[in-house]
Amino acid sequence: MEFILQQCVNAMQWGSFYALIALGYTLVYGVLRLINFAHGDIFMVGAYLAFFISTAFLAPDGLFGFSRELTLALTIPLTMIFTSLVGVTLERIAYRPLMRRGAHRLYVVITALMCGLVLENGNLALLGASRKTLPVLLDKSVYDFGGIAVTNLKLWVILAAVLVFLFLQFVVTKTRLGMAMRAVSWDKFALPLMGIPLDSVIVFTFVLGSGIAGLGGMLFAMSYPVLEPYMGAMTGWKAFIAAVVGGIGEIRGAFVGGFLLAFVEVMVAAFLPSTFRDLFAFSILLVILWQWPTGIFGKPATSKI
Amino acid sequence: MIRVSNLKAAYGKIEALHGISFHVEKGEIVTLIGANGAGKSTTLKALMRLTPPESPVVTGGDIQFNGVSILGMDAHRIVADLKMTLAPEGRHIFGNLTVLENLQLAAWTRRKENTVKEIHYIFDMFPRLAERARQRSDTLSGGEQQMLAVGRALMTKCSVLLLDEPSMGLAPLIMYDMFRTLKQLNADGLTIVVVEQNARLALQVADRGYVLDTGEIVAEGLAEELLQKPEIMAAYLGG
Repeated sequence: MEFILQQCVNAMQWGSFYALIALGYTLVYGVLRLINFAHGDIFMVGAYLAFFISTAFLAPDGLFGFSRELTLALTIPLTMIFTSLVGVTLERIAYRPLMRRGAHRLYVVITALMCGLVLENGNLALLGASRKTLPVLLDKSVYDFGGIAVTNLKLWVILAAVLVFLFLQFVVTKTRLGMAMRAVSWDKFALPLMGIPLDSVIVFTFVLGSGIAGLGGMLFAMSYPVLEPYMGAMTGWKAFIAAVVGGIGEIRGAFVGGFLLAFVEVMVAAFLPSTFRDLFAFSILLVILWQWPTGIFGKPATSKI
Repeated sequence: MIRVSNLKAAYGKIEALHGISFHVEKGEIVTLIGANGAGKSTTLKALMRLTPPESPVVTGGDIQFNGVSILGMDAHRIVADLKMTLAPEGRHIFGNLTVLENLQLAAWTRRKENTVKEIHYIFDMFPRLAERARQRSDTLSGGEQQMLAVGRALMTKCSVLLLDEPSMGLAPLIMYDMFRTLKQLNADGLTIVVVEQNARLALQVADRGYVLDTGEIVAEGLAEELLQKPEIMAAYLGG
């Protein structure tokens, strides 16, 4: 029993990572009907930015010689800001010109795939193949809940995912900007006629999605400090699948889908050889999609987000 | 107020307007009439500076608003700064939003607190919308959607309203109601440019009219004069 509960805690942590990425996929898809396949690599960029920012700040080697606490407090917002700038840049130089010229959605999706490869290989070319290690920013403490060990970092990761989810729900359902995002998802044509700058709404969507991926990348790097250029690829793919299984375009779908995928993965790995993990995990997701082709929360109509 | 001179507009390589000129004065109702494909909707989209692929690119001529060219302006600025907006063909209401949200969204440029009174004003004008305020707007009937499209446009506080085929798909009684409402709004100071396939109806409420045929203006004049010209009605407007 303790073993299973311990695995549940691990699944919650991985579910949080998947959810943080899946939320960005679902936001952009919900608003633009665009599957932003570069999004997993945005997550990787977030992890690297966290590395550069924190090593620049942290004593004894950093330029500023800040304490761990201060470095952590500064690295979180800066990572989110800079990662969202990368996301917005992709929108501005890659997606927007294509969509402006009325390109079919397929070409934009392929462009997104290429952008992801450019980010991966750009990283490889710039930084070489040597792996970076994120410095320790948080003193590890382990809490014991009746035999189940939970680190403080895991709790922070889970808390971050839940808070981000609640924040996004609030933005999309309760604010006027969220209302505008939902309006774009239904009808891009009419939005400027309300006096609303369409491009600003789209940019805001990318800021939200990429910023959250940046936070996810940083938390991931804090949990698994060894960074490599392809770290976002597989995790990103899985998060995308999680978003689809949850019902892409739906915020709670991305959230639930992320946790569902992590639970399936962790439970398969807990009872079977770990080489079976992905095979079983994705077979189970296939069955779920077979049952609910538009995902768990997805609606068959075009009314997403 | 609006002065269009020798306007040419194209979708890609296909020119849809071959140099049309017309003007709209403050407080007027002006109608653009003509058959399908004459360039009526294209003209309105060009006036709003909407972008391709749905809307044309202006390739020649000029559009002036109060003496200033607006060719370099973005659509949302035209709505926010010049107080001109369009209730587009096919209504384009946000079906995944409630009726109330549609109206609130159109008040984007103003503070939220000030919109309550304005929304009541719209609800007084179209009581059916008040009944359905919390309903998703894609559940509305065609007539109700048209009311919402007009109400939403008015929520931008526009002083010039462009209307594209407001009668489309409406039952005759609702259609007459809609035009009566437009006439009332005009009496209250709203300048209106209305595009219609139902030429007779449009000319009955308009002050002046322009007849378009395949991207050119082929006739113009006071509305009652155009109504009296059987050869125009027959040639371009199907009797």
